[in-house]
Amino acid sequence: MTRLSDRHIPARVEFVALLAAFALFLSTVEYMIPKPVPFMRIGLANLPLIIGLGILSDREYFLLAVLKVFGQGLVTGTIFSYIILFSLAGTAASTLVMYVFYRFARRFISLLGVSIAGAMASNIAQLQLSRLILFGDAARLIAPPFLAVGLVTSILLGLFAESFVVKSQWYAKQKENRP
Amino acid sequence: MSASQATLLMGILSLPALLLQDNLLGIACQVLYVIFLAIGRGRKFRILPNLILLISVSSAHLLQPNGLHLVSLGGFSVTLGALLLGARKALTLMGLLYLSHFMVSGRPEFPGKLGKLVAMQFYYFEKITTGWRSIQPKRPFIGAIDRLMLLLEDSGSEPASISTKGSLRATTRVLITNAMHVLVLWSLFFAGYLGLLPAFG
Amino acid sequence: MRRLKPGDFVILIISVAIILLSMRSFGEFSGKPEVRVRAGGKQWVYDLSVDTRATFDGPVGSTTMEIEGGKVHVHDSDCRNKVCIAAGWISRPGQWIICLPNDVFILIEGSEIQEEGGADDTAF
Repeated sequence: MTRLSDRHIPARVEFVALLAAFALFLSTVEYMIPKPVPFMRIGLANLPLIIGLGILSDREYFLLAVLKVFGQGLVTGTIFSYIILFSLAGTAASTLVMYVFYRFARRFISLLGVSIAGAMASNIAQLQLSRLILFGDAARLIAPPFLAVGLVTSILLGLFAESFVVKSQWYAKQKENRP
Repeated sequence: MSASQATLLMGILSLPALLLQDNLLGIACQVLYVIFLAIGRGRKFRILPNLILLISVSSAHLLQPNGLHLVSLGGFSVTLGALLLGARKALTLMGLLYLSHFMVSGRPEFPGKLGKLVAMQFYYFEKITTGWRSIQPKRPFIGAIDRLMLLLEDSGSEPASISTKGSLRATTRVLITNAMHVLVLWSLFFAGYLGLLPAFG
Repeated sequence: MRRLKPGDFVILIISVAIILLSMRSFGEFSGKPEVRVRAGGKQWVYDLSVDTRATFDGPVGSTTMEIEGGKVHVHDSDCRNKVCIAAGWISRPGQWIICLPNDVFILIEGSEIQEEGGADDTAF
């Protein structure tokens, strides 16, 4: 590895890398939480993407999404396998949906709604993909429990994000710095 | 080229050999091979998740009957063709997964701007994991996360430089063994493709 | 929480509706039409909606069945009279084709999907 300080990376981009690292950290935390059902995920790593909506510019926001997918692929060693496709499809769908909802409908919805919409988009995208490469038509059988679990966890995550942006001093500070 | 990049290249060259394989025995041998490669790099192999993948993908394919009828389960027919197709697909996925584990086991550095950003992301990742351990108390979480993030911003980036450049001889050795892995995986593909391995169903 | 907004509940209700809708597909798997083939004491099963071709061996030789676009016919058979080939395409549950000399029996099983008009058969 070469020196990071030689790289002339602007401070804002470095801040995105920090948030992406936080997403990575949360996905390792999630990995350690035991889950009753395989394929079940809480989606903790999406927290930076939800919080980032209010403190990042458009370009920075999408860069964060890309870094999240790449970093997760590398740290779990799945970057060259089919799993990266799921991660990519899910993150692309949820990022886009959350971005659109937050930018254009913020007056009517809070981060709770943003979180639910993002999770639904992500899970539907992943179900479509699993239909293509894993389960064929049987994907429709796993759809109801998969979507229902996603709904519950996204509600919890959305409520947490909402109270985080209200209480966090760090967030308040970043909000002022937002370009 | 560093040793980790050689491994990465080997993986990329071998990927199609797994993807194009449509002989069940062939893919099973390839999977076994890449699992051993991954284990050789310190990756753990756990039976249960793989078994779940194998069973769930195979049983999902049973909904689409295809071929010889084996048994009926509650008015539902289990067919050989569907079972074999599902098993082959699941094995392909497992093979890709463990090949991927092997490919990035040396933490290769990716080229370009994205590569630099990912490196920076990993640098902060290390800091967060060590920083999180030092934070007491951890509840409420919002307060703990707050302190962690403020701590990281104050510290700024002063990463240590780690050299991964190996000697030329070591790299040559890695290149040769990797070339051998590519050869083995492609030989197994051709063995299946040319009908040298028995096909079921 | 005070900060929740009406749109949140709209999104929640739509999401629950999507999940309820996705449950409907459970029923769709039971009545899916299947093609059952009996030959030489063994049985084969195929999905009527997946295009395939399969060959079965009998006393006279081999009989090749073809599934295409939700219809089945005997593509080729080694029997002398070729009645099974002449029988043409079948597509509805309950319909069957038999090749007596070669002992191959092809039957479509499953619940009737919809009331189909006779015109549909010629239209497609």
